[in-house]
Amino acid sequence: MKRPAKFGLTAVAAAAALTIAACGGSSGGGTGSGGGGSASSVSFNQGVTKVVHPSSTTGGTITFADSSTPDSFDPGNTYYAWVLNFNRLYATPLVMFKSCPGTCGDQIVPGLATSLGQVSDNGLTWTYHLKQGVTYQDGTPVTSADVKYAVERTFDRSVLANGPSYYPVLLKGGSKYPGPYKDKSKAGLSSITTPDKYTIQFHLASPYPDFNYVVAFSNSAPVPQAKDTGTNYQLHVQSTGPYMFQSYQLNKQLTLVKNPKYKASWDTQAKQLANKIVIDLNVNANDLDNRLMAGDIQVDAAGTGVQAAARAKILASNSLKQDSDNPLAGFLWFIYLNTKVAPLSNLNCRVAVEYAANKTELQTAYGGPVAGGQIASTTLIPDQIGYKKFDLYEATTQPSGDLTKAKAALKACGQPSGFTTGMAYRSDRPKEVQAAQALQSSLARVGIKLQLHGYPSGNYYSDFAGVPKYVHSHDLGIDIGGWAADWPNGNGMLDELVNGNTIVSAGNTNISELNDPVINNLFTKANSENGDARNAIWSQVDHQVMKDAAILPEVYAKSLIYRSPDLTNVYVQPQYGMYNYIALGTTSKS
Amino acid sequence: MIAFIIRRLFTTIFLLLVVSLVTFAIFFLLPRLAGQNAYQLATQYVGRNPTRAAILQIEQKLGLNAPVYLQYGRFLKALVLGTHYNSGSSVTYCPPPCFGYSFRSQQPVWPQMTTALPVTLSLAVGASILWLVGGVTIGVISALRRGTFFDRFSMAVALAGVSLPIFFTGLIALELFSYKWALFPNVQYVNLTSNPLLWARNLVLPWITLAFLYAALYARLTRAGMLETMGEDYIRTARAKGLRERTVVVKHGLRAALTPITTIFGIDLGLLIGGAIITEVTFSLHGLGLFTYQAIQNQDFPEIQGVVLLASFFIVIANLAVDVLYAVIDPRVRY
Repeated sequence: MKRPAKFGLTAVAAAAALTIAACGGSSGGGTGSGGGGSASSVSFNQGVTKVVHPSSTTGGTITFADSSTPDSFDPGNTYYAWVLNFNRLYATPLVMFKSCPGTCGDQIVPGLATSLGQVSDNGLTWTYHLKQGVTYQDGTPVTSADVKYAVERTFDRSVLANGPSYYPVLLKGGSKYPGPYKDKSKAGLSSITTPDKYTIQFHLASPYPDFNYVVAFSNSAPVPQAKDTGTNYQLHVQSTGPYMFQSYQLNKQLTLVKNPKYKASWDTQAKQLANKIVIDLNVNANDLDNRLMAGDIQVDAAGTGVQAAARAKILASNSLKQDSDNPLAGFLWFIYLNTKVAPLSNLNCRVAVEYAANKTELQTAYGGPVAGGQIASTTLIPDQIGYKKFDLYEATTQPSGDLTKAKAALKACGQPSGFTTGMAYRSDRPKEVQAAQALQSSLARVGIKLQLHGYPSGNYYSDFAGVPKYVHSHDLGIDIGGWAADWPNGNGMLDELVNGNTIVSAGNTNISELNDPVINNLFTKANSENGDARNAIWSQVDHQVMKDAAILPEVYAKSLIYRSPDLTNVYVQPQYGMYNYIALGTTSKS
Repeated sequence: MIAFIIRRLFTTIFLLLVVSLVTFAIFFLLPRLAGQNAYQLATQYVGRNPTRAAILQIEQKLGLNAPVYLQYGRFLKALVLGTHYNSGSSVTYCPPPCFGYSFRSQQPVWPQMTTALPVTLSLAVGASILWLVGGVTIGVISALRRGTFFDRFSMAVALAGVSLPIFFTGLIALELFSYKWALFPNVQYVNLTSNPLLWARNLVLPWITLAFLYAALYARLTRAGMLETMGEDYIRTARAKGLRERTVVVKHGLRAALTPITTIFGIDLGLLIGGAIITEVTFSLHGLGLFTYQAIQNQDFPEIQGVVLLASFFIVIANLAVDVLYAVIDPRVRY
C-alpha cells in the first residue's frame, strides 16, 4: 500500500496518543503464492481485459464502501447490479455468470446446479439438478425445496418489493400466486415442482429460451423456510457461498467472514481468499474516493465510477491512472425517435435527425469520453452477445453531424426547411437536461426546432413519455431514454425497447412505438433458435432498428473505477460493468 | 418552578403534535394536492420495472390507499399505543413510541434512530465543549484587551469561522489531516465503550470543524456582551469596592454576559443533537444527521417523521433546560 509520508510536525501529545490508538486492529495471517504484483506491472484499463495481480494469497480483510445503501442484502429482494455482484459471496444461485474478464464473462455457467437448465422439447419445462452435499453455514443440507421456496417468496411484493418480476410473468399460473407468506398450502406454486431432493423443474406458460439468465439472478439462491423471517431475512441471510454474515448493522456496516462449511467444488466461480469482507455503507462519496486512493478502502461497491474531484486527480497522475479502469458500464444512453408522431412518422425525417445530431456534444453532456461514454452507433453495446460494429449515420466518423445529408433527408421527407417537434427529458437529471439542450442547438442548424419538455424521472415512463396517448397529444416526437440489460444479449437489451409486441398504454419502454414486422418476426424466430444462429438474429435486429432510424444512440456509458493496488485477481466482469467481487483477494494484512 | 416545568412539558407535547402534522402534510397532502395519487406514490418504493400488481401490493402494505387523515391517525396511534407489523413470515409488535417501519428497508424506525443517537451525541457534546470553552475564553480576552493584536487577530479568525461553511472546512480538514498527512486516517465512528481512544481520535476532526464555526460565533457574542457589561455602573462599583480584577471579570462581568450565550447555546445544542447533517455527511458519521439525509433522499416518510419529531423534542427540551438555568445564572430571574 502506498501512502504519503507522515506530516512532520511535532504533534501534541494527545494527538499522538490518539494516532497510536488508531494503529490497533485485527490482523490476519496470509499464505499463498503469486503476490500482488508490483506497481510497474500494471497499466490503465488492464482490468478490462486481463486479470490484474493474479494470486492465490489468502488472509487479510477487503473493505468495500458504498456512498448509499443497498436495496437489500436479501438475495430475493434486490435489483441493484452491485448487490447482485456482491451477494454471490454468500448466496449461490442455480447458474451464474462465468468469472473471467472480457466477453468470456458473458457466459452462463452452473452455480448451485450441476449443469445449465435442460429444456423440454416443447420449451415449456426447465429442469435443474442440484449439486449434492451442499449445505448452509450451519450444516443443514440444501435441497430443491429450498430453491422452490426461495423463488416462491419473491412473489409476495408486499414483503420483498425490490427484485425482478420475471417469475410471475413467465411461470404458468404465476400471476395469481400470492407467495408462501399468504398461501399456507404445502404444495405451493404448482408450476415449480421438485421431483426429488436434488431436482427442480420450472413449468413456463410459454417458451422462453433465455430462462437460464432468469435463474442467474440471486433470487434462485436457496432459502431455508425455517430460517426465513420475511423482511428481516436481510439481517441474517443463510449462506451457501464462500462467506457468511458475521454482523449487519442496517445501512451502516456488513461484515462477512469465511463460511466454514463451504467447499470450492460447490461454486467454481467464487474464491475464498480474504479472511473477512467488510462493507461500510452511507459513506460520503468524495470521502470514499479519497479513502480508496489512500488504501483505507479497497473497493467502491457501487462500481459506477469515482466522483469528478477524484477523476481529475486520477487522470492527472500516472501512478493513479495505471491503477484504474475505464470499462463499459452496461448502459446505453439514447434518444427515441417516435415513428407515430408526424413528421417523424416519415423515415426520412428521422434520418435527418440522425445525421444532424452533434454526437460529440451529446457525449460531453454525459460527462465526456471517460466519465460519460463512447459515442454509440448501435443499439447493442460492444461487449454484448450479438453485437456487430456498424455505423449507418456516421456517428463515429463524423461526430459533429453531416448537415448536407441531413438537409437532403429533410427534403426527401417533404420538410426542406425543417420542422418543429417536442422533446421529453427527465428534468431532475442534469446530464439529460444538457443533452436535450445540445440536441436542440445541433438540430437547429438544419431548421429542426425542438420544444423541450422536462418531466420528473419518477413517473417519466408511467405518466409521460411512456404513455403513447400523452406523447401524441403533446407532440413529443423525440424522447430521451436509457437502458441497461438484465442479461447481455439482444433479447435482454432490445426486446423491451423495439419489439412491437411490447408497446403498452402506460409504462411503455418502446417509446419509439416501433412496430416493424421485420423486427417482430426476428424476435419470434429467436425463440426457436439457439447458439450462434440466435446470436446472429440480435445483430439483425440491431441493424434493422438503426435502418428504421427509430433510435438515435448517444453513448455506450463508461465509468472510471479505481483498482486498489492491495487487491488481487482484479478484473471487470462485463455483466456488471464493475470488478468481479467473488474473485477478489488482498495482499493487505490489516 | 415545578409548575413552570409541567406547563412547558404540556406545551412541548402540543408543539410536537403540530410539527408532526406539518411534516405529514408536506409529505402526503401536498403531493395529493399536486395531483399525485397513491399508486404513483407507491411506485417509489418498488424496484425497477415493477408489475402493476407489485405496485398495488406495496400501495396496500404501506396504507397509501387510505384517506390522508386516516393515515395520520394510524401514525399517531402507533406512536402512543404501538402497532403490529406483518414481516411476511410473522407478525411482530412495535412498542411505543413506534415511529413506524421504513418504507424502504421495512425495518422499525425507532431502533435505527436510537443507534444513531450516540454518534450525534458524541459529536455534539464534544464539539460544544470545545466551542464553549474556546469561544467564551477568546471572547473574554478580546473584550479585556480591546484593540490589541490578539483582539484583532482572534476576531478576524472568528469572522472566517462564521463565514466558512462546514462542508468546506470539513473537506479541507480531511484533505490535510486525514488523506495527505494521515494524522487521522480512516475517520469513522467507533463506539466509546469498545475503544475510547479510537473514539476520540476519530472525532477530533469533526469536533474541531464543528467547533470552529460555533466558537467563532460565541467569541464574537461573548466579546460584545463583555464589552457592554464591563461598561456598566455596577462593574465600576465593584472595582471601587476594591474587589480583585479576576472577581470583577468572572463573577460580575462574565456572569451577566453569559445569559444570552446560554440561550443560544441551548438552541444550538438542541439543534445539533437533532442532527448535525452537514458535518455527519462530510465525515460519514452514522448519526441522526446522516440518517435524516438518507431518509430525505429516499423519501422515506416514517424515517423523516421520526427524526423531525426527535429533533423537535431535543430543541424544546434544550430550551426548557436553558430557561431553568436562567434562574441559576441570573438571580433576577424567578419563575
